[in-house]
Amino acid sequence: MFGKGIFKGLKITIGHLFEKKVTQQYPEERPVLPARFKGSFDLNVAKCIACGLCSNACPNHVIKIESVKDENNKKKLTGYKMLAEQCLYCGFCVEVCPTKALQWNHDYERAKFFRDEVNLDLYAKYTPSPDDDKKDIPEKNVKPEEKQDESAKAS
Amino acid sequence: MLKTQELTLNMGPQHPSTHGVFRCVLKLEGEYIRECVNHTGYLHRGLEKLAEARTYSQFIPYNGRLDYVSGMLNELSYVQTVEKLMGITEEIPERAQYLRIILGELQRLASHAIYVGTFALDMAGFTPFMYAFRDRDRMLDLIEAASGQRLMPNYMRIGGVAADLDEEWFKELEILMNDMPACIDEYDGILTGNEIMRARTIGVAPVSAEMALSYGFTGPNLRASGFDYDLRRDEPYGIYDRFKFDVPVRKDGDTYDRYCIRVAEMRESVKIIKQAMKDIPEGPIMAKVPKVIKPPVGEAFHRIENSKGHLGFHIVSDGSTKPYRTRIYSPCFVNLGFLPTTAKGLHLMDLVVALASIDIVLGEVDR
Amino acid sequence: MEIFNTIANGLRDWLMGSLGFSATATEIITTAVWTLVAILFVMINLIILVWMERKLAAYFQLRRGPNRLGPAGFLQFPVDIVKVLGKEDIIPANADRFIFKIASTCAFITSLTAFAVIPFSEGVALLQNLNIGIFYFIAVGSTATLSLLMGGWSSNNKYSLLGGMRTVAQMISYEIPMVFSLLGVVMIAGSLNLTDIVNAQKNTWFVIPQLIAFIVFFIAATAELNRGPFDLAEGEQELVAGYMTEYSGIRWAIYMIAEYGNLVASSAIISIMFLGGWNAPFGLTFIPPFLWLMLKIYLVIFVFMWIRWTLPRIRIDHLMHFGWKFLIPVSLANILVTGIGVYVYRMITL
Repeated sequence: MFGKGIFKGLKITIGHLFEKKVTQQYPEERPVLPARFKGSFDLNVAKCIACGLCSNACPNHVIKIESVKDENNKKKLTGYKMLAEQCLYCGFCVEVCPTKALQWNHDYERAKFFRDEVNLDLYAKYTPSPDDDKKDIPEKNVKPEEKQDESAKAS
Repeated sequence: MLKTQELTLNMGPQHPSTHGVFRCVLKLEGEYIRECVNHTGYLHRGLEKLAEARTYSQFIPYNGRLDYVSGMLNELSYVQTVEKLMGITEEIPERAQYLRIILGELQRLASHAIYVGTFALDMAGFTPFMYAFRDRDRMLDLIEAASGQRLMPNYMRIGGVAADLDEEWFKELEILMNDMPACIDEYDGILTGNEIMRARTIGVAPVSAEMALSYGFTGPNLRASGFDYDLRRDEPYGIYDRFKFDVPVRKDGDTYDRYCIRVAEMRESVKIIKQAMKDIPEGPIMAKVPKVIKPPVGEAFHRIENSKGHLGFHIVSDGSTKPYRTRIYSPCFVNLGFLPTTAKGLHLMDLVVALASIDIVLGEVDR
Repeated sequence: MEIFNTIANGLRDWLMGSLGFSATATEIITTAVWTLVAILFVMINLIILVWMERKLAAYFQLRRGPNRLGPAGFLQFPVDIVKVLGKEDIIPANADRFIFKIASTCAFITSLTAFAVIPFSEGVALLQNLNIGIFYFIAVGSTATLSLLMGGWSSNNKYSLLGGMRTVAQMISYEIPMVFSLLGVVMIAGSLNLTDIVNAQKNTWFVIPQLIAFIVFFIAATAELNRGPFDLAEGEQELVAGYMTEYSGIRWAIYMIAEYGNLVASSAIISIMFLGGWNAPFGLTFIPPFLWLMLKIYLVIFVFMWIRWTLPRIRIDHLMHFGWKFLIPVSLANILVTGIGVYVYRMITL
């Protein structure tokens, strides 16, 4: 019969009229982010060995590292800048980091008023924490996984 | 006799329904099209050249920028081409193979959901569009949980996948897959059976099987014209030969058939994911590949059944860490070629529907 | 509605008695006051309608709709109007400036004049006992075509022109079944006066004997109102915004106001002609007649919106076929059947 399909469609839409809505009320309701969510970057400067692997792995040459050699001929980080304007957020730098110094965080509100503010200065942003002095290698390896577990539980 | 004049209408690049920045110049007689000329290139970013300036693995994230609604499948195609070039196709671990299939099909579902939504939207059916996007969002949530990003996943790696997925993820996937048939029935109810929609699509812009072949149609568009050819079944890549699924084929090749093929394929994708979820083994997710990828001198071409058609990569290696040449065979660009021929005599309103029915994504058309 | 008449009579007495105006002046001032009331009525309805449209569209689509300003986003539209007033008045370079400027206002005036004959209750109307009420409504309503064509033509934009042309084709075609379907009602009621028509529906609403006419009128009215699935004149997907493409700011807003004004007027006519006007069904007379009419109007508007947010747009040639090959024959047949029915009824009763 002509009009059957139209009435079926009308039935479907009226069925949804009083259904629970699916949209999130963003500023009040925060999205539940998965553990692997790629937001912004955090750099643990104490862990960083300034090896430059991240800067090499980057497809767009986003990461600029400055380092000096100390008396033991060991590299020490003195500057770590990310040109986030050009960043693809592919995460190769995080994947390649041998000491897990570079990590993703869940900061997704990255819109800024001025263009310069978009770029990240991870060296300046870093605030030292008491955990930095612990040089135990096993703990370093355990830590990122723990962090992931915690955030997985939270989500 | 009144003096009549052709009306030249510039449609695009800023137009609500050219799916991005596609532009066509139309010569109209009343509202009927006498001539249509395609203009592409407004979204050209030089991705093929970018590939030459990057190492093999560094190009993987750029695949999400190709066809930005089916990033996972583009990555799969690229990664498999590089694996073919290196000769390690057989060494990919089982679990990685299954994860690739699951996420690829999930992405195909998401891409087809966009198709159904935008197809409805181009006929001013805004509500089906929202329903399709409601389901697509759940798929993207899963992709986000797997890879960290919704549209540009960067999940496939040369030799495997980036991350393993836990039980929780598979539980979520199972819930979604159990919900999907009802959701697809809903699209059917609101759109497929609708008399207005049928009147606007049946018999509009038909493409015969011969024409489809001569214009290089691939994928769902080709199958809508009655040519039964699906790479997943006929030239199985990965482990597609282990799954049982039907390849929907229709015969008229008009816009309605092209739409129906997509809806039918969504049901098949759900079937494939359910099978893969059942069979997935435990194990490693990465093959042993060197950190610096240096394929031997030579070249490789590989194509997969993307959501839009056959997406192929032709990579020429000169033995260094960067490809000598990367060529992207884009299904959207090839499919778009039918428009000037088919548009002749169409009504302006039908042109929009015809354009929507071949499912173009300008990121891939212009590369 | 007694209170309106009391107010009107009180106003008349006050003007004539206390202020000493002549009878003509009193009549003019009273009419002006009525006109203001009509404008106010349209505006209040408009705020509710725009809110309702947005909310309903959102709810059908599993969204929440406006919910930031005021209770449940109710103040969104007044704030939108303020925003629109602050916008630059853009007139395209080669536009026909005079016609471009007056086009949207014309649309608004036509939608407003239609309210003159609509009785909101027994004897509450601007032109109270106009004995050609429905004829006046049709005549005024059909001029709305012109203002849309003016907008489409004067913009000097190809999309606008195509939209304007579509409007003319569509509106002229759907005017005919619309009038024909009303003829059946007029034949039964035996009057063109809207108050008489409502009074004739005391026992049975005309939707029952005139179901076919009701459906035909509803479809034709959807087309007349440029609402989905017949919103070809706007045709966003192919014509960007049709005749409104070049309009922005307050001129665009006036077009929208006119559109919603027409929606109220057409829904009111449907309620009056087919749904018994202010007559209360099932003897539920404790609700005042004015509210009954508003309830019916909003029910009809809800159905309009429900259809709009479900169906895709029809193609223009299908629209023409549907209008000329289906609606007109059906409405003509309806007139024939109604005529025979009325004749037979009179034969029996007399």
